[in-house]
Amino acid sequence: MPTIQARGLTKRFGADVLAVDHLDFDAIPGGVTGFLGPNGAGKTTTLRMVLGLVTPTSGTVLVDGLRYRDLPHPTNRVGASLEASGFHPARTARNHLKIIATMAGLPFSRVEECLDLVGLSEVGNRKVGGFSLGMRQRLELARSLLGKPDILVLDEPANGLDPQGIAWLRDFLRFYASEKPPSAGDGRIVIVSSHLLSEAQLIVDDVIVLTAGRLAAQGKLSDLLGGTKRSVRVCTPDADRLVQALRAANLPAVMQDGYVVCEGVTPEQVGPIMVENRIEVHEMVSSTESLESLFFSLTGGESVEPGQMAPLGDYRRFNDGPAAPPAATSAPVAPPAPSPAAGPVAPPAPSPAAGPAAPPAPSPAAGPAAGPGPVGGQT
Amino acid sequence: MTRLLSAEVRKLWTIWSTYVIYLIVVLIDLMFGFIVAFAPGGRHRGTAGFVPHGSSQWFVNVFSVLDNSRLLALVLGVLIITGEYRHKTVTPTFLAEPRRGRVVTAKLGISFGAGLLLGVLTMLTGLVIGFVLVAVGVHSCLSLAGVSQGMSQATCAAQGAVHHYYVANTHDMWHDWSRIAPGVILGTGLFAVYGLGLGALLKNQIVAIAVGLGFTLVVESIIVAVWPTIGKYLPGEAATALENASRTSFGGTSTPLLSWWEGAIMLVIYGVVLAYVGTVTTLRSDIT
Repeated sequence: MPTIQARGLTKRFGADVLAVDHLDFDAIPGGVTGFLGPNGAGKTTTLRMVLGLVTPTSGTVLVDGLRYRDLPHPTNRVGASLEASGFHPARTARNHLKIIATMAGLPFSRVEECLDLVGLSEVGNRKVGGFSLGMRQRLELARSLLGKPDILVLDEPANGLDPQGIAWLRDFLRFYASEKPPSAGDGRIVIVSSHLLSEAQLIVDDVIVLTAGRLAAQGKLSDLLGGTKRSVRVCTPDADRLVQALRAANLPAVMQDGYVVCEGVTPEQVGPIMVENRIEVHEMVSSTESLESLFFSLTGGESVEPGQMAPLGDYRRFNDGPAAPPAATSAPVAPPAPSPAAGPVAPPAPSPAAGPAAPPAPSPAAGPAAGPGPVGGQT
Repeated sequence: MTRLLSAEVRKLWTIWSTYVIYLIVVLIDLMFGFIVAFAPGGRHRGTAGFVPHGSSQWFVNVFSVLDNSRLLALVLGVLIITGEYRHKTVTPTFLAEPRRGRVVTAKLGISFGAGLLLGVLTMLTGLVIGFVLVAVGVHSCLSLAGVSQGMSQATCAAQGAVHHYYVANTHDMWHDWSRIAPGVILGTGLFAVYGLGLGALLKNQIVAIAVGLGFTLVVESIIVAVWPTIGKYLPGEAATALENASRTSFGGTSTPLLSWWEGAIMLVIYGVVLAYVGTVTTLRSDIT
């Protein structure tokens, strides 16, 4: 049965950079685990430590109870795809896979199977240098599957894939994780790192959230999202009347970006009030907190990379012409979220309600399928 | 280890740059061989004065200039390991074989083999040059015979002379070739090992090639000129020692050289020690 166990995993680059800081986690078999975190949170470093490419400064990470380099047949146990760049541009895709198959003692028939699986068998004799990013990603996936491993570790596997490719990958990973070959016991371990949160939300069952090299949360995605509040958003020409009616019914309605937003209620509570008051409705959206807003509340909404992108308020002032000079200290768009939870499985703290003092946000999305709100604000 | 070796062979022969290096070697060999053969007063390694065309020293000079192929063997050895870093194929390689020392050991073996092959190709090219030179000698002999003798007798006499010349010259050529070839081939193979060690230590392809060629062509020549007693232990001189043993009877050399087996040991030490130091230092470092 496959296991990955990290205990006190720490990696320091040079004197200043603490990339990963006393990380403990266990990968959960039988489902897809999302490995999430802002850029610079230590995702890739952690995955590379799992795979023996980066040596931890302290702590251990064990695969099946062994360090990666002590695994007798690593290719047959762990399939890993890191960045779509480990190719010699002048070598053909088929030869690239044959080399790895040779190293692992696998038959070349397995190379053909994997090329077929990812749809590259027809271009297998072409040089990888001419491949698109999506094709390289598929080739990386084919390489990681060569040994039919029970552990898959994929770093940003959806990067560069077209929409069909992403949908295929999603179905494939779900299927692969749920397969239960005799060697896998309760199912396989599939770890997928991603910064595309809406995409990750569709694939993953469990999440491990890193921020600044520390574990911010780990658990079932449904559990982490379950504790968050719902809200209802309504687009109506009679906004003022609706707000009054809702407030009269003791529901906390506010205007936000031209929408009436009601926190902590269900559509079943709002609907009858609108019917009662004969209020015309153009759109009504009910949402729970998205992975994105959960993520921002966990990570403080800040990237660890140097520099911060300008608040949108500044951008709008700048574009709207000769208005006031940009404020020196304007509020960042992301809500001032609570400091990253220190406990490993802390429930996500809800972001503060967006009151009237909320910073200006971009013009409301007009489409009927408007998803979860703009950066940082829950809807 | 068998798997690793055959994977390394496959790596080498599935990219065009390997073929290009072998092609370059043949072209350079042809160029240098004929330049030395027909340059007026061809000199080589301490032999002074004019060397008459067709003499045994002529062939020795032509064949021993081919040892410059070892510079390309050095480049080949450097490429075998630094190419993995340059194209990041080192990631899939170390995923499939996380014991990095074993990977480097396989690469040492494969670079020796690839270097030997390069040396063999060089000396086969040398053989082609040799036969061309014999043919040229025969041709000039024929025209000489035609000019200096009367027609009817000439044909007969010239045929005899030419035949004699051809046999003697071929014999000389073959004799010189077989004396020089083993040293050049072994030296080329070991220089590839040396290049691999250099690449393992420096990791950066451009830097490793620049350091390897710069040291061999410039720094080493200076050290040899200034401190010959130290210079003879350096890689280029050690490789020269390999061939010099096979032509001790022809002239002398101006600088002292090791015996052929000392030269071979020095080259093995350079390759293995550099590769070992490279493995425990730079190759152990993080792949990010």
